[in-house]
Amino acid sequence: MSIHKLVRTAAVALCTAFAIAPLVSHAQNAKPGVLVSGDNLPTNIDPHQIFDVPMMLYSLNAYDNLYRYEGNPPKLEPWLAESHTVSTDGLTWEFKLRAGAKFHDGSDITAEDVVYSFRRVLAVGKAPSGAFKPVLKSENVTAPDKSTVRFVLDKAYAPFLSAIPIVAVVNPRLIKAQEKGDDWGQSWLASNAAGSGAYQLDPATYRPLERVDLKRFAGHFKGWGDNPKAPELVQILPTRETSTRVLGLLQGSVDLTDSYLPTDQVERIQKTAGVHIQKDTSMRVFTLRMNNKKAPFDNINARKCFAHAFNYDGFIKEILKGYAERNPAPMPNNLWGYPADVKGYDYDLKKAKEFCDKAKAEGAPIGRPIQIHIQSQLEQTNQAAQLLQSDLAQIGINLKIVSDTWANITTNTAKAETSPDLWVHWVSTYFVDPENWVGQMYDSQFHGTWKASSWYQNAKVDELLRKARTTVAQAERQPLYEEATRLIVADSPDIWVYNTVELRGVTNRVKGFRFSPVGSGGEMRWIQLQ
Amino acid sequence: MLRFILRRLLLVMPSLLGLLVLTFILIRLVPADPAAALAGENATPAQIAEIRRQYGLDQPVHVQFVRYLGQIARLDFGESAYSRRPIALEISQRLPATLELTICALLFGIAVGIPLGTIAALYHNRWPDTVLRIISVGGVAIAAFWFAIELQMLFSMKLGWLPLRGRLDAGITPPSPITGMLLIDSLLTGRLDVLRNALWHLTLPALTLSLGGIATITRFTRAGVLDTLQKDFVTYERAQGYPAGALIWKFVLRNSIVAAITQIGLLFGSLIAGAVVVETIFDWPGVGFYTVQAILTADTKVMLAVTLLIGVIYAVVNILVDVVHGLVDPRLREQD
Amino acid sequence: MLVLKKFAKDKPAVLGAFIVLIVVVVAIFAPLLAPYPGDAAASHLLLRLKPPSAAHPFGTDNLGRDILSRVILGSRGALAIALLVVGTAMLIGVPLGLIAGYSRGWLSETNMRITDVFLAVPQLILALAIAQLMGPSLQSAMLALTLTYWPFFTRIVYAEARRLSASLFIDALQCIGAGTTRILFLHVLPNCISPVIVRATIGMGFTILVAAVLGFLGMGATPPDPDWGLAISESRQYLPEAWWFSTFPGLAIFLTVLGFNLLGDGLRDIVDPRLRRSR
Repeated sequence: MSIHKLVRTAAVALCTAFAIAPLVSHAQNAKPGVLVSGDNLPTNIDPHQIFDVPMMLYSLNAYDNLYRYEGNPPKLEPWLAESHTVSTDGLTWEFKLRAGAKFHDGSDITAEDVVYSFRRVLAVGKAPSGAFKPVLKSENVTAPDKSTVRFVLDKAYAPFLSAIPIVAVVNPRLIKAQEKGDDWGQSWLASNAAGSGAYQLDPATYRPLERVDLKRFAGHFKGWGDNPKAPELVQILPTRETSTRVLGLLQGSVDLTDSYLPTDQVERIQKTAGVHIQKDTSMRVFTLRMNNKKAPFDNINARKCFAHAFNYDGFIKEILKGYAERNPAPMPNNLWGYPADVKGYDYDLKKAKEFCDKAKAEGAPIGRPIQIHIQSQLEQTNQAAQLLQSDLAQIGINLKIVSDTWANITTNTAKAETSPDLWVHWVSTYFVDPENWVGQMYDSQFHGTWKASSWYQNAKVDELLRKARTTVAQAERQPLYEEATRLIVADSPDIWVYNTVELRGVTNRVKGFRFSPVGSGGEMRWIQLQ
Repeated sequence: MLRFILRRLLLVMPSLLGLLVLTFILIRLVPADPAAALAGENATPAQIAEIRRQYGLDQPVHVQFVRYLGQIARLDFGESAYSRRPIALEISQRLPATLELTICALLFGIAVGIPLGTIAALYHNRWPDTVLRIISVGGVAIAAFWFAIELQMLFSMKLGWLPLRGRLDAGITPPSPITGMLLIDSLLTGRLDVLRNALWHLTLPALTLSLGGIATITRFTRAGVLDTLQKDFVTYERAQGYPAGALIWKFVLRNSIVAAITQIGLLFGSLIAGAVVVETIFDWPGVGFYTVQAILTADTKVMLAVTLLIGVIYAVVNILVDVVHGLVDPRLREQD
Repeated sequence: MLVLKKFAKDKPAVLGAFIVLIVVVVAIFAPLLAPYPGDAAASHLLLRLKPPSAAHPFGTDNLGRDILSRVILGSRGALAIALLVVGTAMLIGVPLGLIAGYSRGWLSETNMRITDVFLAVPQLILALAIAQLMGPSLQSAMLALTLTYWPFFTRIVYAEARRLSASLFIDALQCIGAGTTRILFLHVLPNCISPVIVRATIGMGFTILVAAVLGFLGMGATPPDPDWGLAISESRQYLPEAWWFSTFPGLAIFLTVLGFNLLGDGLRDIVDPRLRRSR
């Protein structure tokens, strides 16, 4: 009897344990004035240490720059600077600061502060310094007066102005108080803020890669008269898994997703009321890199064989459901310097086979197992590799897929011997200039960086790219880039697939979202919250 | 007893040092390091080399190791190459989340496992025993990551009853941390809304993580109860007409729980390891999630610190288990 | 005979043996049993994510491949990795355990301390680190699993050998001048083989499980391997619509591991009646 009672008691206890949780009710209503973004965060929040798409989301809001990209196609607009001048030799650049702009702590933004910011970028030597280090020395950034900043370059560098928005202007008074040794306050700024942007960080709530809370900065120099409905608080709360992120959007706990949604999720959002898809053509080229220094890819026919073996239309139409534009060259087709007449390569297994046989006849070891490295976290790199693999199998080529990580790939691309046979990635916009694509991808002086990891070498191309880099006038640079691009495409060093259409899930209460390929529309000050 | 504990502690030190050497060598062998990733999109090889120098990654391995040991001795784990925050701070912010999850999973495992094990023993070799046996063997046969995804699919995505991820809803601001464990902090500060929300978020991850524990605890309780039931004094009490239910509470469970405790201790170690997977799936901001992130980005110092932390937890638990064993069975002390 | 009879009465163990047998048969004849054996590598973009139907009883995945075929083909990889890992771990762990258990003093002590070090290495972290080192692949996953699994065998054999080496018949053998190697391998080893077999059986299931976790975290099997863990990882993006994508590979893992565990459990009861189902 009593044993049965015991069993019954245990059963009741069990049921209670299971029942407690669902009893707890929940409500996830969006709060007025609070915008929640499910987009990604940078690994730390010092804009002089990190420079990637997540950092742009953060720094576009928390910091200001001299010039800033707005709109699509992106245009450079004066921001903290009012105007600039450049000497005819392209060496001396002067920027005039606007009056009255203030940091979050209320102090004025002076030319000295801008000088400090550029010097800090150069001294720290991390991602944002890449564009400047080869042409700019720290002592050549000066402030001749309170509202003028002067740069004297070592050699003419045409993309200089396009790269100016990379540097966030920081408040030296806050940072200097927190310096440890000669670290330029890196440890401190990595989880704090010293900016002037339209939104101000709440450092107490900051958790790396998990949470950033940004409050509207009423004293921002742009003023808020044009947008009385701007969000009061912006919370960035990333989720790793896309399906989780999208579910948050559908349930209303997230207002914006990231802008790289896979098409299956896009369809899910389109079927749901209260949310929609923001669709924008970007400047982000999906590329399969070939290691031109390694056999068989040191053979042009082998490279052409692979270029003809990728099912471009199948990939774009079936896997991406048409949300991308075929882009047969390394540069995005909506950028100046893109040669309109370039044809590129089409999917044709017969041609592929012919080139393959030619390569084989020339002694290229096309029969060896060839490895393609994908980024394990990015499903599309996997899908592209699998598609190529199944087509190559039909013409007798054995492609092996290797799952890899970004850190690993970028380390291995330092040497030609360790660079993968093939790998898959996107080339995004960091500054809007052909230099960002063909310049850094195919000029052999960049060998050893992941961007130049196809180890392509062509003396004529090197010459054209270097000339374009030192010529100031865009009208003169344009034909140089067009010519270089034609030559590169003819050599088929890589497989260029598409220019991205960015797809972002947005709740209907978000109005006035402004997309720009630089930063993927991360500037929150334009948003009107209904 | 004290000598026994001291001896165990002394024996653990070389093991921990060995663990450190092993991990250090292993991690230094990994070709990936943060330098290239930190140098960013437009870096030249010279810039990458400069960053490597800044982080001391250009030094010979033994120099790096000695320097690292010196830091560890001062309890300085360095800072994460990416977030630039002290690793000790990051771990201390994340450990409570992991502890909260694992302790809840353990308690849930005990709450379910002990009754189930008792039932199985009482119905020894009859059908409830067989069914429970298959269930308990099945519990350790389920891939936790799969189970978690199926639970998410059913309860979060289809039914919308339970949240998919995280510790709290976005809109809820937690009380400033006292212990860092939300359940305790919210009770201490009287924030019942946070308590409810945190419990609601804990359900799926804790349930997933407790699976293996339920199975193990069920089996050990069953064995313990069976063992005790066959003891002479129980037979005697039964013969005396002592009510069976009370007998179980008073003698049998109390006796068998001591044996189960050692197992529960060991289980705690494996729960922490299991947390790596569960935290990854539920975006749970704990140490496990932190570890996976560090590995994917080749953040070597974090990997070292986490390995050491788990090693220490494992060693401490082992010592505790040995101590309990020693208390229960004095013969073991002399033998060792 | 008595043993078999006893085993036959243990229904869960028989069920386990039955499952293991089926999995082994499926693995051996996988290419013949799979309705679309070519789907190990081929992709059919037009057939993406179709729900279960007569043509595809388990549905199709994100590249239009038949999931039933891939589940069947995946059994080979799972069994192969389990056999290799457990086999190698035994080859390393058993002799070390014998030596540590039979000898005294520093040799035994050092041996066991090294074993402790390896036991203390968090298995997943080691596996992930090795995957970074060698590039993620089945081989690196196997290496990591072996490196962390052998200490279990050392521990078991050590305990048994320790117990045996104090027993009378070993003393007697030493008295009549039998060599150490002879004593170890002819007399001690056979006496501690039963717990090793039990551990190995359960280890098979355990290894399949951890290998699946590695595949899931992107540090084990690589596409297009029809790996069960990898499939579940790939499925996450297509949830909850494509429920079949994650469900069936997961069930395959569950059944296989359940089979090994039930079998191991039953074997343990037979091998060690003292512990009758206590562990």
